[in-house]
Amino acid sequence: MAIPALPADYSPPASTSKLTPFITQPKGKLIQAGPAFLGHIRLTRHHDGDFKKYDAATAKEREQALAASGSGNGEEDDLGVGDESEDETLLSLDPKEWKKQDHYRVLGLSHLRWTATPAQIKIAHRKKVLRHHPDKKASDTTATALGLNLNTNDDAFFKCIQKAHEVLTNTERRRQFDSVDPAFLEEVDEVPGASDFKTKPPPFLPTFAPIFEREARFSRIQPVPKLAVPVEGDAKPSGDPNDIKGHEFPTLKAHVEAFYDFWYNFDSWRSFEWLDKEVNEGSDSRDDKRYTEKKNKSERARRKREDIARVRGIVDLCLSVDPRIKHIKLQEKEAREAKKAAGAGKKGGALAAPAAKSKKEEEEEKAKKEEEEKAAKAEAKKAKAAAANAAKKARRAQRAAEEEGA
Amino acid sequence: MAPKPTPNGNAAQAAEATPSSIPAVVGINLGNAYASIAVYTKEGLAECIANENGERQIACAIAFHGEEIYVGNQAMPQLVKNAHNTITGFRNLLGKKFSEIDQSTAATSAPLIQHPTESDTPAYRVDILQPAPTPLPTSASNTPAASHAATPRSEPTPSTRIFTPQEATTMFLSSLLQSATDFLGKPILGAVITVPPFFTQPQKDALKKAAEDSGVRVLQLLDEASAVLTTTTSPQWPGGAEDRTQLVVDVGASSLSLSVIALRSGLGYVLGSRTTTDAANIGGDALSSLLVKHFAKEFTKKTKTALPQPPSTKEDIRATTKLLLALEYTKRTLSASPAPASLSVESLHSGLDFTATIARMRFDLLATPIYTAISSEIKSLLESISIDPHDIDEIAYVGGTACLPGLDSYLLTSVGFSEDVQTAFSNSTMGSGAIGDPTGVLSIGSALQAALLLAIPEESPELAQAFEEAEEVKTTSRTIGMLFPTSNPDDSNGLGGMYISVIHKHTPLPARRIFEVEVTLSGGEGDKATKFGFEVWEVEEGIKVEKAAPLPPSSDDDDDEPEEPEEVKTKTTTKRNFLGTLFGETKGTAVKDKTKKGTYTAAVQIEFALGLDGVLLVETRDSKGEKVGELRVES
Repeated sequence: MAIPALPADYSPPASTSKLTPFITQPKGKLIQAGPAFLGHIRLTRHHDGDFKKYDAATAKEREQALAASGSGNGEEDDLGVGDESEDETLLSLDPKEWKKQDHYRVLGLSHLRWTATPAQIKIAHRKKVLRHHPDKKASDTTATALGLNLNTNDDAFFKCIQKAHEVLTNTERRRQFDSVDPAFLEEVDEVPGASDFKTKPPPFLPTFAPIFEREARFSRIQPVPKLAVPVEGDAKPSGDPNDIKGHEFPTLKAHVEAFYDFWYNFDSWRSFEWLDKEVNEGSDSRDDKRYTEKKNKSERARRKREDIARVRGIVDLCLSVDPRIKHIKLQEKEAREAKKAAGAGKKGGALAAPAAKSKKEEEEEKAKKEEEEKAAKAEAKKAKAAAANAAKKARRAQRAAEEEGA
Repeated sequence: MAPKPTPNGNAAQAAEATPSSIPAVVGINLGNAYASIAVYTKEGLAECIANENGERQIACAIAFHGEEIYVGNQAMPQLVKNAHNTITGFRNLLGKKFSEIDQSTAATSAPLIQHPTESDTPAYRVDILQPAPTPLPTSASNTPAASHAATPRSEPTPSTRIFTPQEATTMFLSSLLQSATDFLGKPILGAVITVPPFFTQPQKDALKKAAEDSGVRVLQLLDEASAVLTTTTSPQWPGGAEDRTQLVVDVGASSLSLSVIALRSGLGYVLGSRTTTDAANIGGDALSSLLVKHFAKEFTKKTKTALPQPPSTKEDIRATTKLLLALEYTKRTLSASPAPASLSVESLHSGLDFTATIARMRFDLLATPIYTAISSEIKSLLESISIDPHDIDEIAYVGGTACLPGLDSYLLTSVGFSEDVQTAFSNSTMGSGAIGDPTGVLSIGSALQAALLLAIPEESPELAQAFEEAEEVKTTSRTIGMLFPTSNPDDSNGLGGMYISVIHKHTPLPARRIFEVEVTLSGGEGDKATKFGFEVWEVEEGIKVEKAAPLPPSSDDDDDEPEEPEEVKTKTTTKRNFLGTLFGETKGTAVKDKTKKGTYTAAVQIEFALGLDGVLLVETRDSKGEKVGELRVES
């Protein structure tokens, strides 16, 4: 509604009057039905006819209702699949390029990805089909009314959905896709290198915990030990990596050792069949086929090797900067020293003068420090050697497996 | 050239109600002759549904034939040969004492008798065949079987059963509920059933008892005016302003209910109502008897066989019933299409078949007495509450007889409604089970109400209680409006500006109305213009009657009667009380249009809130929701 401007010489009428008195109507005149009546009684009985209070209350109620429906309290649980937005680029995907598409994104599962259960995949697929089935488009009268012909490429996205469903419901093909999951590959690129730790080391636990959690999905052995030491009871694990004093020393040592032991012998199912090149279509030549197969095989093996080395690199890096290793060393050394000192004390028997003792202590401390440094260096060296050894072993095993396969 | 990729899907299409959000409720309109049921469909809309036989209008009849029981339209043909075992018209007898019932009416159906055991209770006695008990299984071990053939079932034994109207209602309602359950595929959580305005408290109690016996939770017994209100204020209802005055014309089989309702933002307030149960002159049954007379005459003329009306012999009664049943379809055809409707009955009387057609024109001529009766009722109702027919914005037709287009056109001219009054005919929502159809209005309203009641949280029972107990309300006595003064007051309304009605007469308190307007700012050049303002007035609305000069009589016109001058009615608005002026200041944006260069406008939200204490608070807000002007008027 457009309203004309107030005239420049406008002045309101001089006298104002009050509202004409209202009429009180007898009972039964107001019809007691309908949503507006419900609003009316709410307004008059709960909020004393105050519109502001009423507005606030209804807004709150709506929010609650929304929250209740959002948390899946409805009769039909969608197992947290939810509704993902679909943008233009997603909808214009080409089904011919199905190998390049993100199947989780197509089914609207990008928040769940590899954790999606078969039931969730089924629900997500059904949701998408309900929306994008070509039969639904035929009845889309708005498009026809606008004179648009959407029929040219109508079921392309539906084909993408079907392809995604086909891949994700087949366990083997799903593993192949999960191995080269685009979201995973993206995250892998963000792993910090050794150089990052030299200049300005990022916090230990928050950096490495998610990395190991991410890699754990490929393990054939489940569950995978966590980087952080599990805390008993209700206490929440603190994010501070230096907060290791709280743990009993033996549990800490056992856990850390088990962790590195697991990751140095990591058994991954990750494979790279997904990236295979296809044999030229229409080519009947057996030689062509064999050649491509051979190429693919060597490529797969190369990628697998690279992947093993990559995981190894991460574990090496983690071990080299792990503050807990240092802590363990220190503790062990202290224990040794204490033992030694106790032995010496028994042997000597005599008590040294307090002044001399302080001097001696100083010296001892100095020596301890030096030794510590030395030990750390040696340990690092040892670890490196062990890593190299393990890598060699893994490579050998790989080669053996390959030969067996051939 | 690579074509631009076009989206393959449309994310907006998914805006469908999930199955879980559909309330499993049913709205039942239980009439004396016909009933209808409404539920929420898959699309989340309340809709009048068809039962398993494809009927939206389900005849209130139960017939017993041997071991079979027929309910609904299937029972109607039984009236011809098996009338004494067919129960019809039981709703109006609910909760009544035997001594109160006028015995002369129920003629064609099962005889109404005094209940053999309960005192002063009406009952129907029907003859049925009691199915014989299944024979005991023959045991192979005890006695050697005489033959391998199974023992034949013994014949069912004839017996009689006594039905009170309440039991008949229970039986009928459970068949309706079964249809609704089958349609929804899940158990019904609650039902709302309509009651006519003339029902007394014992009758309501009896209906409630009957419904609960059929195994459903009765959320409310809704009177018919309320059901109409719920339907007509729902967002599904086609057309109609937020504030309008509505005339409800409910033409049932044997009764006529009229109400004038002020609809104010969904709240309904009865200005006046009346109910007539004069079965002889008003309603579908009266119409049918007029038609029967017409066709009986035609039959006599065609076949030289007498079919006296009213019928006396048994054969005549049977022929009349046959004619009545066939007429139902003729009436529906007449409502649905402008073509002449046919009526054909095989072996109507003395083995003679009868086929005839009737055009709308002839039909309307026949039905004129009924139309006139309805029209005069409306006129007298409007007069009694001193409302001009031009004040009626909408006519809501209810019931099967109200589907007749002839009735609508007759009422429009004879009562003198304005030309732009909204009806089901002007909105062309006749037919189908959709919301605008007169036959489904009551059941859809009940379903909407049932969903509303079911959604009331358990912890506030006082809200559900409020639907039962009547309360007093205060209403406004004059229309309050806003006037935007203009510099050239030569406008047609004579108010000196642009006028918008805000809170209409008869609006229950508290009330609130919100408007979004685009104001042109003044008070300076360019972006210095920040001021706007309007006056708030109490106005009086009236009807101006102008007599248009009659056409000059043509020379060859032999009509003796002088032509009456045609009345032209227009709505008028007169300022009565000045309540105040609201001035506001806000920042505007320049108008893009080149012809209006230099003018600045702003989108402003104007809120009128009339509280319970009688204080009118007018507030204006800018697009950011900040207050830019206020006016307070005491009463």
